[in-house]
Amino acid sequence: MRLVHCFILLVFIISACHNFPRDPDKTLEKVKNGTLLVGYSENPPWVIKTNAAPTGLEAELIKEFAQTQQAKVIWVNDTEQDLFEKLEKQELHLVIGGITDKNSWKSKISFTRPYYQIPKEKHVMAVIKGENAFTVALETFLHRQEANLPSRLQTYENR
Amino acid sequence: MKTVKTFEFPAELQPLYRKAKRLEWLTIAYLSVTVVVMYLTMGNSQAMKTAWYEDLLSLTPSVAFLVISRIFLKPANNEFPYGYHKVVSIAYLCSSLALFSVGIFLVIDSGLTLIKADRPTIGTTIIFGHQIWSGYLMIVALIWGTVPSIFLGKAKLPLAQKLHEKNLHTDAEMQKADWMTGVAAIVGILGIGWGFWWADAVAASLIALDVIHDGFKNLKQALFDLIDQIPKTVDNQKPDPIIKHIEEFLRQKSWIKDSAIRIREDGHIYFGEAFVVPAVTTNLTQHLEDTSREIENMHWHLHEFIITLVSQLPTSENK
Repeated sequence: MRLVHCFILLVFIISACHNFPRDPDKTLEKVKNGTLLVGYSENPPWVIKTNAAPTGLEAELIKEFAQTQQAKVIWVNDTEQDLFEKLEKQELHLVIGGITDKNSWKSKISFTRPYYQIPKEKHVMAVIKGENAFTVALETFLHRQEANLPSRLQTYENR
Repeated sequence: MKTVKTFEFPAELQPLYRKAKRLEWLTIAYLSVTVVVMYLTMGNSQAMKTAWYEDLLSLTPSVAFLVISRIFLKPANNEFPYGYHKVVSIAYLCSSLALFSVGIFLVIDSGLTLIKADRPTIGTTIIFGHQIWSGYLMIVALIWGTVPSIFLGKAKLPLAQKLHEKNLHTDAEMQKADWMTGVAAIVGILGIGWGFWWADAVAASLIALDVIHDGFKNLKQALFDLIDQIPKTVDNQKPDPIIKHIEEFLRQKSWIKDSAIRIREDGHIYFGEAFVVPAVTTNLTQHLEDTSREIENMHWHLHEFIITLVSQLPTSENK
């Protein structure tokens, strides 16, 4: 029985380290102070295509997220299908485009926890499967923005 | 036609039997909560999924025990002249078969996860407004599913031995060993946290192999019971010493020249026959009935013992 107690204690000591969880393929480390490869497909008001970098709620959120990681964003525009294929091959770090958790690509790639909910629609972003440190960093960032998301979304809807 | 008399545990075992029933109700309540908690926290972890199946299945021995406890005490009747004791063996077969087949399913499932290099994504969860890594929640759920079950298992083991109750014994053994499942799954989740995606699937495979091991051991015993293997002790599967004791007892009777016995087990109780070559010719019926009763009174397990007179012992291949 003492063994069990020691074990439980050990679990919490080990996992209390600051960089936990980690990525199997070090995505977060590569992004930090480097480049964030973002795939986007147009889907207003979430992602709005322009001549330069995309705008819309999700595109703006990602720009801010990249800043928190001191990363430069490289935008890749394509269809959702192609973007997901690139994400699966780890040619992208992240895909946005007003994706909801109902999306059927769930088994090849991963989605963040829904960061924005309206009835029957849970909005998520697509990430590389199993890169947990990156996923947690993105989810943490999105969670902090939660309060002012509805008003921000409105500004893009009215354009 | 002689029907088998009604059977209840002897008076001194009645409180133990009631205690066992209470513990099994407690187990069902506890496991139901565990299954829900595990399901809610499971996420993408294969190890959690496997541990969840194991917990769900470990409900079967407790449920089986409580269901059959309503049946096996029924008196024998014209339709079922040997009583209902065999339901114990049938319940035992059902729960061990469930365990075994789910074990195989889980090994395949976890093996495929490993081969396909399917990486588990574990993100965050909001608990009371705080965002934490879901892996920690899984670990908490696993600890809840492990520590109390060790105590429950330990409390049930001695009862199972005294009551000669195999369903209860399987249940207790599985629960006592459950900490290994918990630890394996926790290590798997910590492995994901450390960036080793395969740790989860490896942990899941180990848990699944343990389920198969339990399932196979019990399935074998359940089948042996149904084909009337000689009675074995519940705790260590040795031939029950009472067999030797009866043989010795018959040998010492002056009215018996030679004897051979066979005993089988139906749930909690034993049925036995002796083939006896008598040494005397007078008062045979009296001798026979007395000896029969003396043997039946040796232990509460010995439910019915029939003595048959023969002129020559049937030959047995073992001797």
